[in-house]
Amino acid sequence: MSENQAPSSWEPKIIAIVCNWCTYAGADLAGISRIQYPPNVRIIRVPCTGRINPFYVVKALQAGADGVLVSGCHPGECHYLTGNLSARRKFATLKRFLSYIGVEGDRTMFTWVSASEGERFSQVIKGVTEAVRALGPARKLVKQL
Amino acid sequence: MENVEKKLREEAKLLLAEKKIDVLVGYEAGTLPMTATPCFITAPEEADRLVWNAFCVQNLAKFVQDLISLHRESQQRVKPEARTRKVVGVVARGCTTRSLVIQLQERQFNRDDIFVIGVPCGGYVDKRKVAAQVAGQEIREASLAGDRLSVKTAGEAKTLSLGGILADNCLTCRFNNPVLSDLMIGSPASAMAPESEYAGVEAHEKLSPADRWDYFEKEMAKCIRCNACRQTCPSCYCRVCFAEQSQPQWVGVSEDETDTQVFQIMRLYHMVGRCVDCGSCVAVCPMGVDLRTFLKKLDKDAFELFGNRAGSSLEDLPPLSQFKEDDREDFIYDPQKAK
Repeated sequence: MSENQAPSSWEPKIIAIVCNWCTYAGADLAGISRIQYPPNVRIIRVPCTGRINPFYVVKALQAGADGVLVSGCHPGECHYLTGNLSARRKFATLKRFLSYIGVEGDRTMFTWVSASEGERFSQVIKGVTEAVRALGPARKLVKQL
Repeated sequence: MENVEKKLREEAKLLLAEKKIDVLVGYEAGTLPMTATPCFITAPEEADRLVWNAFCVQNLAKFVQDLISLHRESQQRVKPEARTRKVVGVVARGCTTRSLVIQLQERQFNRDDIFVIGVPCGGYVDKRKVAAQVAGQEIREASLAGDRLSVKTAGEAKTLSLGGILADNCLTCRFNNPVLSDLMIGSPASAMAPESEYAGVEAHEKLSPADRWDYFEKEMAKCIRCNACRQTCPSCYCRVCFAEQSQPQWVGVSEDETDTQVFQIMRLYHMVGRCVDCGSCVAVCPMGVDLRTFLKKLDKDAFELFGNRAGSSLEDLPPLSQFKEDDREDFIYDPQKAK
């Protein structure tokens, strides 16, 4: 078995850092509406995507996350008016930089899900889980304890 | 160069004598051949120590920020009526003035706290390139004449053309004339070759992700976490750096390779739109880590995505301190399109 081959029991671990006002409410709606999505995601709620230090993403990768998803309100719908617009600039450069050094692009994902988009939330989680599953377990940057 | 140096000393004397500045940050001759070290001139008679040549490497903006913040801190302990103001003069080439602009944009001090003596710059000598030319032998003597450098080692004497030994960042420098100055010395320097500034990054981008990761891993494996890059960087002025913060502890202090990688990723990432490519970090790195390949990528992205050239204009804000409604969104994941 080559090193990158995942053992059959392996399931991707995905950290989703989501904003309180849109995506978290969207996830809630998905739950209330009984929409199924893969259980691979661990959700961390933050006040706003603008509050997310890009370090959180790198740190999650180092702590062994196979993928990191950041999701907030659509541009123009931020609860704090412009938090997600600042965040967009940070994540655009962060994603490019991480793929430049060689971390697979699909390990870090950024998206917008509004409070009314329970269906979209489930699709995002499905899509991200599949993309990360295709990449296999994370080996780069992971701190071995 | 000679007359720039002479003029610089004269102006420095005048400025200090007239009390227009309290201290001048400049370069003096180092104790070893081919070196110049930063120095602080506080009296007119000391001004003759100043030098200006192709051995002046470090970005002096670091010291300007340091001096002013230390002074401000010391003034906290003084009665309000006895507080003094300190004006720091600085000998600044293009990249140093860009760093000063960044610090001004980030409100580290006021424009009238500094006095910028602008000098045109023809690039500085990369000591590693010289060492390669003399097979790593110790250089006993070195002298500059025009665009030629004569070096003497124990065994041989060699004359090198300056074009071949200038630092990489100088060869493709876009701002070799100061972008900000109170006083200009000398005539503007002739242009370098900025059109090829991203050639290295573009070549690196063409490699496969696995090769890029191998390169990153190999370079970061050299790093000994001495923090010299951070100490010399004019954009790294945080009172408490994330690398030393303990609550929360962002990055481990062990010799674990991922800790080093994460430290470097984050230090590099903090330079989005704030790196002026002065090459100080590369010059001071004792292990010769290739930081520039990564820093230049951030610079390229900041320009491609936001049209930003770090520190080029005092009116502009740093790219991550602002946003536009129509910023590019092509990196945003869309489950509809992904199918």
